Amino acid sequence: MITIDHSGCILCVGCSSVCPANAIEVIGTRMEHFPEKCIDCGACVRICPANVICLYKGVKSAKDLPADAKK
Amino acid sequence: MSKTHDYDVIVIGGGPSGSTFARIAAQGGMDVLVIDKRKEIGYPVRCGEGLGAREVVKQGLELPRQVYSTEIKGAKVVAPNGKSIVWKDEETKGWVLERKMFDKWLAELAIAKGAEVHVYTRAIDFVKKDGKINGVIISHGGREPYEVTAPLIVSAEGMESLMARKAGFKTVHQPYDVDTCYQYEMKPYDHENLIELYFGNAIAPRGYVWIFPKADRKANVGIGIGGTIFNGEKKGGMKGSDPKILLDDFIKKEKQLKDASTLLDFGGVISVGAPIDEFAKDNMLIVGTAAKQVDPIHGGGIAIAMESAVLAANAALKAHETKNYSKDVLMEYDKIWRAGPGKKMAKRLMLRKVMEKVSDDDLNYIFNTITDGDLNQVMKGQFAGPVAKVLAGRPQLLGVLSALISK
Repeated sequence: MITIDHSGCILCVGCSSVCPANAIEVIGTRMEHFPEKCIDCGACVRICPANVICLYKGVKSAKDLPADAKK
Repeated sequence: MSKTHDYDVIVIGGGPSGSTFARIAAQGGMDVLVIDKRKEIGYPVRCGEGLGAREVVKQGLELPRQVYSTEIKGAKVVAPNGKSIVWKDEETKGWVLERKMFDKWLAELAIAKGAEVHVYTRAIDFVKKDGKINGVIISHGGREPYEVTAPLIVSAEGMESLMARKAGFKTVHQPYDVDTCYQYEMKPYDHENLIELYFGNAIAPRGYVWIFPKADRKANVGIGIGGTIFNGEKKGGMKGSDPKILLDDFIKKEKQLKDASTLLDFGGVISVGAPIDEFAKDNMLIVGTAAKQVDPIHGGGIAIAMESAVLAANAALKAHETKNYSKDVLMEYDKIWRAGPGKKMAKRLMLRKVMEKVSDDDLNYIFNTITDGDLNQVMKGQFAGPVAKVLAGRPQLLGVLSALISK
């Protein structure tokens, strides 16, 4: 799954445009991520112009993120 | 007839393509609903804001003063070594918009023709009847979802295009076929009302830096680079595309900009690949950036979105007339598009793919050899003359440039 630092996100929707798993979407006024759909490909991380996305390979749920996870 | 649906068409997305479609469809007598999930039409702005005059004039529209910042009088393209070509003709006339105001104005034109527009309204899923699309389930501001029915749905969703994906359109973007961008609105910058484009593999690999003039000594200073150019380190250590680093480098070296202020700071991702393979399904159309109808050379999407929206609306009106919203009927738009704007776009895509193979030294040579008239021909898709000129002095470029002159 990925984490998104919402404080730095500029809502450009670039991440969702390249996400092959439909795992990111603008809902309301922020980008929401659906970890259960994420395939850990990292495409969103690589193209994010604001550099606010971090990939945690193999992690399937927010509760399993490491304590120091970058959000 | 008795009313079988809430609307004749529901348009998802209130950007230039959605609003233009809505205007033409409403004018033709369709009952139109436009929904946009953003809280405000036109905001947030994620755009260089340049718009050529041609399509606006063709549609008989007159831009009110508040929707643009300044007029564009021409273009200046700058080679890696600093040599520039200034190019002024009909093709380069246009405006640098105040994009938020522009989008609102287009939406208001649609409303004036009878369309209904609602913001902060998100499409969640399709309503289906006998297996066919028959409306959308929507939610206003995250509140209780409800169904709205229509025999035709239009995806004008822009880069995200998630409802289109749900309907089976192949709208996921490949990283190779996007540019990642970063832009500042800056002041002061004294310009000559020219669109300035700076090329070079060191400055902007597989892209360019742009300086678009705005009123009151302002400018949009931005960069786009290839989505598979991994020049930066992303969070967690992954390599990735980081246009901001290169834009900041460029600005540091420009004496007018290095100490200038920033008024707006944002980034984005632009589609620079081919359009999707079909624009219609039963009871559904897709238009604008959602359909990847974006110019692969300059990344501009407004004019082509407006042009495509008219074609899509014409097909929708035909379907409405006969009450037949099948793919067969709606594909008329696809056919006309590919014979018109699609041809031009295909040439631009070919040019983009050739350009990315040209070294800075070759670019310098090309800029030294061709004239503004040649540039004009190139942008019109007439490559033979300018290519011959370049090859006369640098025949070793034949391998790279031959794609432009074959067939």
